[in-house]
Amino acid sequence: MKEKKRILAIDDEEDIRFILKEELTDEGYEVSTLGDPTRALEVIREFKPDLILLDIKMPQMSGMELLGKIRDAYYDLPVILLTAYDSFKYNLHAMASDQYVVKSGNLAELKEKIIKTLNVVA
Amino acid sequence: MALPEATQSELRALGKADILIGIPSYNNAETIGHVVKAIRLGHAKYYPEKRTVVINSDGGSTDGTREVALAAFQEEVFDVSLVQRPKRPVEGIVTTYRGVPGKGSAFKAVFEAAKILDAEACAVFDSDLRSMTPEWVHLLLAPVLEKGYGYVCPFYRRHKYDGTITNSIAYPLTRALYGRRVRQPIGGDFGFSGELISHYLEKDVWNTDVARFGIDIWMTTTAMVEGFKICQSFLGAKIHDAKDPGADLGPMFEQVVGTIFSLMGSYESKWREVKGSRPTAIFGFEVEVAPSPLQVDRGRMVEKFKQGVDQLGSFYRQILSVDCMAKLLEVREMVEEGAFDFPKLLWAKIVYNYAARFQKTKNRRKLLSSLLPLYFGFVASYVRETEAYDDRKAEEVIEHLCEVFEEAKPYLLQRWT
Repeated sequence: MKEKKRILAIDDEEDIRFILKEELTDEGYEVSTLGDPTRALEVIREFKPDLILLDIKMPQMSGMELLGKIRDAYYDLPVILLTAYDSFKYNLHAMASDQYVVKSGNLAELKEKIIKTLNVVA
Repeated sequence: MALPEATQSELRALGKADILIGIPSYNNAETIGHVVKAIRLGHAKYYPEKRTVVINSDGGSTDGTREVALAAFQEEVFDVSLVQRPKRPVEGIVTTYRGVPGKGSAFKAVFEAAKILDAEACAVFDSDLRSMTPEWVHLLLAPVLEKGYGYVCPFYRRHKYDGTITNSIAYPLTRALYGRRVRQPIGGDFGFSGELISHYLEKDVWNTDVARFGIDIWMTTTAMVEGFKICQSFLGAKIHDAKDPGADLGPMFEQVVGTIFSLMGSYESKWREVKGSRPTAIFGFEVEVAPSPLQVDRGRMVEKFKQGVDQLGSFYRQILSVDCMAKLLEVREMVEEGAFDFPKLLWAKIVYNYAARFQKTKNRRKLLSSLLPLYFGFVASYVRETEAYDDRKAEEVIEHLCEVFEEAKPYLLQRWT
């Protein structure tokens, strides 16, 4: 049986974490969620995700700062920035992410970008 | 060796250095002084304890470049810049490299110097930079010295019409081939580990186009393909002697593109299986910058495109697939109708057709020079598309172009075989 791809969703909002877990589990992924970005590196070590969904505006730590730490520790771990704000798209440090998705009620774009990102062979 | 004997001896007498910084030059008397002073200040601010040698590797300038560089090593800079004078200032050397005239030979001399000095890290800066700050020294060296990166590429905010070879071919093609998003693969300012420099010096490329304008893309591709950890550092605006893409970039285009195509042949096993691309780490503190405006002569580019298609049509038929040729002729017709649009997918397919043909042709110069009118056509179309855009919105167009190149990769594989 094909092993499920693992996704770690990091977002301070519980509702968002719930929706992502439900919807992406239905898509066949093994999903873990995290509300406290300061624990991210520890959770990555334990869960070993194939891809991370990362919010930007979080009170404990900015997603951009965490993205930098992830890139430093895990050079090629795919990260999709998932945010309510379009304005960060051309932020310098956003360029260290694989994709940038603006949150909406419809997760179609996110699902498509997850597939695209997981299919990268580089 | 690219370094003259006298310079080699001078370097050996110095012993070991922690950092080696190189400034290749040719007739840059107006700007090299600024670069030397920025480096001296950068060293004083960030690496005052590190033994640092700076070498100007000149190609035989006739405008006093070397004399200006020498004077800039001596000029008082610290008090007026509010920077503490280092106990151990940089040691400056000015030399004229030997070998094929071109930036690659200048770099070889710098790399040889780094090897003689057994430098842990090395950086190079273009000598026509007007916007360089002392911080650039830190930004290109810190990822190597503090974080273990092998290769540091620059990330600039550039005017939307500056860097058209990068935007239209070097970046999208390199990204699609090797799966790594390095925005400025031929940026000109780079950081390296000592290990990567030793690796470069082992390669037998110094009598080819790599020694001319191909050096930047060769370094970037080699670092990517041979497993060195790459990152990018934000340097701000690149203000230099920028050129109108329609007027001045022919020789550089041929040498850069020729080098990319040659490397495709050497590294075929590395790019065939790659799909999509990955980002790199990016360092630096972002600030808003306003690059100097660059005027482009769009009409001249369209004219070159028209003439190219009219005169070289039968040659293009030998290189391009039937569908590409048909589409190209449609685009040519559109010029007369005033609604000129050169589709991105057509451009990607043309580049892929050329890349495949390059491997089989003996007359590579002729092949590359025939691509130029088509490049002008694509750039003219890009200029029209982005006329009303600011630099950030124009960047979306480049991002879209990159996606087109990535998605069209199966077409490359088909044409390649």
